[in-house]
Amino acid sequence: MSPGPDKLADRTPDQPADEATATTEAATRLRDTIAAQFGRSLHIRTLDTGSCAVCEQEIRLLTAPHYDLHRLGFFFTPAPRHADLLLVTGPMVRAFETAARKTYEAMPGPKVVVATGACALGGVYRKDPFVHGEVAEVLPVDVWIPGCPPSPLALLHGLGVAVGRLAEKMPDLTFVAEEAAKAADPGKAADTEAGGET
Amino acid sequence: MPMWFFRGLRRGVVTTRYPARPDGSAATLPTPPAFRPRLLTRQVADRLIAVCPSAALSRQDDVLIFDAGACTGCGRCAQAAAEAAPGAVTPSGQFELAATTREALVKQIPILGGER
Repeated sequence: MSPGPDKLADRTPDQPADEATATTEAATRLRDTIAAQFGRSLHIRTLDTGSCAVCEQEIRLLTAPHYDLHRLGFFFTPAPRHADLLLVTGPMVRAFETAARKTYEAMPGPKVVVATGACALGGVYRKDPFVHGEVAEVLPVDVWIPGCPPSPLALLHGLGVAVGRLAEKMPDLTFVAEEAAKAADPGKAADTEAGGET
Repeated sequence: MPMWFFRGLRRGVVTTRYPARPDGSAATLPTPPAFRPRLLTRQVADRLIAVCPSAALSRQDDVLIFDAGACTGCGRCAQAAAEAAPGAVTPSGQFELAATTREALVKQIPILGGER
């Protein structure tokens, strides 16, 4: 089953990043399509938009014997025209914007963009004038992989999430270390607590 | 026959079974912090926000907003909390952080300690 032209049309890179909610539906559809279409053969193009190269180092480790990315059906390709998944690192340097857009446009659909590392997610260089601050300002990002750098295991999990093979855990994590019952809804817990103590 | 062939036979398979099975090395990874709301006060929270080098923390009244996407896992907040409020910030041990929405990475931590 190939994606209809309408599915690809709402994925143009010119689309503003703040319309992310509108694209969530399309992104979910795309991930399903990718899982069905590519199964266990998905080609990855990495794109360095000004990262310090530690993310690249971790990405490179994925092909090492311990992680052996190929056993899961992922392969790296040097050509965006052969790629199904764009693994973007770095805070999106402004000088690289055109190249990033061209890389995205050169990829055949359906395609997935994965922002990798804290810089790409808008963490470290948010206010730097030479960068956009995050990848999502230029490319329509589908999956976000945090970490500085994300370890190869985190990258494997992220790639699994990107192709719909692994479940994402992030929505259920609270980063609250105690009170498991209240941790399910921290906002609510704060309200009740504030009401109780004052 | 090269020696590495026999060495490989002796040591067995080195490839991780992740994601089918958990990987042992995951426990040693630097991970984002987890917070203890009862040990957090506004003052401690502001201290943590001040030491965070990647602007992953911010505060809205009695809620500490933690952006796990921006967090670099450097541990400076845990270090600062060790002086101001021991035990308030500990490594979360979570490394499977990939998300399909950016909003899922932003967590709200209630601040339950201190005067209000």
